[in-house]
Amino acid sequence: MKKRTGVFVCHCGINIAGTVDVKKVTEELSKHPGVVHSEDYIYMCSDPGQNLIIDAIKEKNLDKVVVACCSPTLHETTFRNTIKSAGLNTFQCEIANIREQCSWVHKDMEKATEKAIKISKSTVERVLRNESLDPISIPVTRRALVIGGGIAGIQSALDLANSDFEVVLVERSPSIGGHMIQLSETFPTLDCSQCILTPKMVEVSKHPNIKLMTFSEVQEISGYIGNFKVKILKKPTYVDPDKCTLCDECTKVCPVVVPNEFDLGLTGRRAIYIPFPQAIPATYILDINSCPGLLPIACGKCADVCEPNAIDFDMKPEIIEEEVGAIIVASGYDQYDKELMAEYGYGKYPDVLDGLQFERLLSASGPTMGKILRPSDHKEPKEVVFIQCVGSRDPELHCEYCSKICCMYTAKHAMLYKHHVHDGQAYVFYIDIRSGGKGYEEFVQRAVEEDGVLYLRGKVSKVFEDKEKLKVWGIDTLIGKDIEIDADMVVLAMATRPSNGAEELARKLKIALDKDGFLAEAHPKLRPVESVTSGMFLAGAAQAPKDIPEAVAQASGAAAKAISILCQERLYHAPTVANVNINLCTGCGMCVDVCPYDALSLKNGKAEVNEVLCEGCGTCSATCLRAAIQVKNITPLQVHEMINACLGG
Amino acid sequence: MTDEFEPRIVAFLCKWCSSAGSDLAGVSRMEYPSNVLPITVMCSGSVSPLYIFSAFNKGADGVLVSGCHPGDCHYLKGNYYARRRIALVKKLLEFIGLEPQRFQMSWVSAAEGKKYTQVIKDFVKEIKPLGPQTKLRRNQ
Amino acid sequence: MVKVEDIKKEAKRILKEGKVKYIIGYKKSTNGLMSVPAFIESPEDVENLIWDPTCVYNLTRFLVDEKRRKAREKNPDERPVGIVVKGCDSRAIIVLLQEKFINRENIYVLGISCETTGVLDEKKLLKKLNGKKAEKVEYDEKDNFIITTLDGKSKVPADEILAERCLECRANFPVINDILFGEKVDRKLDNRFKSLEKIESLSKEKRWGFWKEQLDKCIRCYACRSVCPMCYCDECVVDTINFAVTADTTAEEKAQRIKWVEKSPTTSENFVYHFVRAIHLAGRCIDCGECERVCPMDIPLRFLNKKMEKEAKELFDYDAGFDPDQPSLVSCFKDEDPEDFIR
Repeated sequence: MKKRTGVFVCHCGINIAGTVDVKKVTEELSKHPGVVHSEDYIYMCSDPGQNLIIDAIKEKNLDKVVVACCSPTLHETTFRNTIKSAGLNTFQCEIANIREQCSWVHKDMEKATEKAIKISKSTVERVLRNESLDPISIPVTRRALVIGGGIAGIQSALDLANSDFEVVLVERSPSIGGHMIQLSETFPTLDCSQCILTPKMVEVSKHPNIKLMTFSEVQEISGYIGNFKVKILKKPTYVDPDKCTLCDECTKVCPVVVPNEFDLGLTGRRAIYIPFPQAIPATYILDINSCPGLLPIACGKCADVCEPNAIDFDMKPEIIEEEVGAIIVASGYDQYDKELMAEYGYGKYPDVLDGLQFERLLSASGPTMGKILRPSDHKEPKEVVFIQCVGSRDPELHCEYCSKICCMYTAKHAMLYKHHVHDGQAYVFYIDIRSGGKGYEEFVQRAVEEDGVLYLRGKVSKVFEDKEKLKVWGIDTLIGKDIEIDADMVVLAMATRPSNGAEELARKLKIALDKDGFLAEAHPKLRPVESVTSGMFLAGAAQAPKDIPEAVAQASGAAAKAISILCQERLYHAPTVANVNINLCTGCGMCVDVCPYDALSLKNGKAEVNEVLCEGCGTCSATCLRAAIQVKNITPLQVHEMINACLGG
Repeated sequence: MTDEFEPRIVAFLCKWCSSAGSDLAGVSRMEYPSNVLPITVMCSGSVSPLYIFSAFNKGADGVLVSGCHPGDCHYLKGNYYARRRIALVKKLLEFIGLEPQRFQMSWVSAAEGKKYTQVIKDFVKEIKPLGPQTKLRRNQ
Repeated sequence: MVKVEDIKKEAKRILKEGKVKYIIGYKKSTNGLMSVPAFIESPEDVENLIWDPTCVYNLTRFLVDEKRRKAREKNPDERPVGIVVKGCDSRAIIVLLQEKFINRENIYVLGISCETTGVLDEKKLLKKLNGKKAEKVEYDEKDNFIITTLDGKSKVPADEILAERCLECRANFPVINDILFGEKVDRKLDNRFKSLEKIESLSKEKRWGFWKEQLDKCIRCYACRSVCPMCYCDECVVDTINFAVTADTTAEEKAQRIKWVEKSPTTSENFVYHFVRAIHLAGRCIDCGECERVCPMDIPLRFLNKKMEKEAKELFDYDAGFDPDQPSLVSCFKDEDPEDFIR
């Protein structure tokens, strides 16, 4: 079939015609091989201009169109729709940019005209080799998976569920609630964390659109945007939640005591336990690692006293498969590893606590029922030293980044301490105070002015035990003096780091990690809730250290992004994707290595493109040594001919 | 002035940053020499060494590859692969004795119309004294 | 010192036990000094195997042929192929594994350490003997080669007639093997890119002059490509083809071919051809020097690949042929890759 290209040169008033001899461009292009029609018009994008194109397509039986005009970012879509209305495939139109890249930047008419001709010719060479393509259509499974049941995951799940989409919420621990449910009160308003979170937790458990899977972990994910297949491992709890009546008889007979994770080891729990009174789902579970009774029945006392027969030692792990269209990852954070903080005596001295432990001490439902007492001797501490940036902002030894939330929660800790112990003294060692946020700076000032918290600018070099006291050696860099404090308690604002297992999860999801191990967003400014993998979104502290309002905001943002996929029956994807010539492919896998989207894989020793994931960047094509892979409509042949046209004559 | 040597430079511009940057130069009416013939590609990472060899082979006096700044690639990392590949091509071309000025790479963001203009101006200025590129040019 | 008897013993064993379908090794040529490839299929033929400084061939190229042959067979013998490799050749195996061209289980590697020497350069030997014909060259216990001519035996320090690449070898022992002959001796190398310096130190125009003179000699016989184990593509991009032509290929499809390079051996086309080869071998060339050895026009092709090897090392700290699991040079990057050349 003979190629019949039409070239349409726009004057753009005098924008183009002022420096480019439009008539000459039209005339020169009419002589170019493959061109059967060329004309110019004052405003090609106007209705009459577009009609010229439509009429020419019909009269001259054109099958390709080049419009020499402004940048394709402006009117490529316009003209592609124009030719579509004349019955041509949208990909049979290409734009020659002779305004932004030519007439507007040159003054010499002769030279500008010559350049415009070359640009137009090279565009003709490209369009001559364009394939007709249709958008790739993908069906959408209209439900979502949320990974992580902290405040971010809860918020995303509720937003999705309330928009009438089914949600599978997977949480690896026995209850949802995350770290937020461990907190006493929240800055800067000091409302009780449990009071504001438990209603949301209950809403999750009761919501008809939410399938809650606690004590479960994502094992495997396959598929792509709109069509993910997820395998979830449901670990056995050995207690049937439907039968358990929370009578608490079992814990009375259980002989095993182990540290309670919820109180970060400040209290103990039995091998059969409920994580905390408001746990969702509200059920006891049996901790297989500390229970002596499973192999063989050595104890079984709990089962003996369980009236409803809820305890089932034969419970097995289950693999549950779910299909979802979008995934939100809200895997949260953990505190920095304690072993790395030996210089502050953490883990060595019982009265050196981390921030979360102190939260438990402050909590009305905590180990001391809200009284501040030293774990070592249950005396009320009169001098408490709070150390900020423990592990944060320390590129040599620990984390380079700022953990963001510690300035605020330390101010809160010091303030709440003073509310409990009126005659006590709180000291805060800090590097800087970072209190950007609504009401945050005022909150810190309140701690200083109203509660008399003493802020010392400097670092602590050492904490050690000295006659029932904790000796704190530090420096106040503002006055340039060494400081020594005999403290009763030391609280460390530990760095916030990605939660344990985030790396493995990221690998399963094929989401990139940033240099600090947090989940990487697709663009730091413009796509902060999207991951690199389309259809997967990020929420909360999994992406970077965040306080509660930020985590909630991002969670809602991620939910909205997920909804923008789920609200559609089908998704459409640009068809200008990579294409493998299997005759040439040797299966070396270099393209697979370079693909930023995991769109390539090796099947039977040949590269295969997942067209849904491919974004058409062409990095594979430049990497391939055999020219076996190329992106449709910008193939090496097209570029070759464009180079020729640019340099011809 | 008409018989002054006017070099022909082929510029491979990535669609998202450098081509957009050149558009901005246009919108801002920043004037620069007309020696550069832009070929917009999807990503600097898609510029095969063959394109560069071919351009010189077909008589280009200079070749420019321009992409997004590191970290800004629309396709996340294409420009990093480009940087590595182009470094090798550049070393190879210099090794056989091509003037290093003739093959250049730049990072030009969509906001850097001014920088694009400057890159082109400098490029043309540096190439003019070298005269036509005949070493790798196919005899026609 | 490597004893050829040990190699023969192992070769005999694996053939007898049926572990391998055949062994690719070296045997004496019926025509001249330099050894030639041997394809040993039966234990009786093992006696033909030799090991001496004339074993210059990189035999891994035959793995490419083996793969193609096997692909054509209806009921291919699935047993591995035994192959004799030196240090450099073994690196080629690593690259072929890295690029998934061969599978580890399809080869049985008889690795030979070059210990303190290497293989000889035939041209250097001729010069050394003033044109006299050598009948035999052997290793001795030390760093000498024992040369037998009609005049009898003489000792020559190996360094004087070693192949250029052996003088710059970065690992003269097999980095992958199923059985190793000889000892792993770390050779001290002050500068593995020394030979490049004489070209690099030339002025730009002199460099151009050098390469123009050299590449103008190229007759485009493609011997360099044919001998190279890394040039295993079914279709080469310089062959003006970007897809495989079959009986069904239409004229229009043929028009879709890209002519990156013209066939005629002119300066411009020769340069493009050798550029493409150098760039495509960057991070893959393991410096076996075969391209240069087989070049009928004596073009110092090794320099082009060596230059790329040097840049890969210096710019990206990348060495070809050491880790089959790492991505190839241009299919990975580091955030801190140099960019001082970028505006």
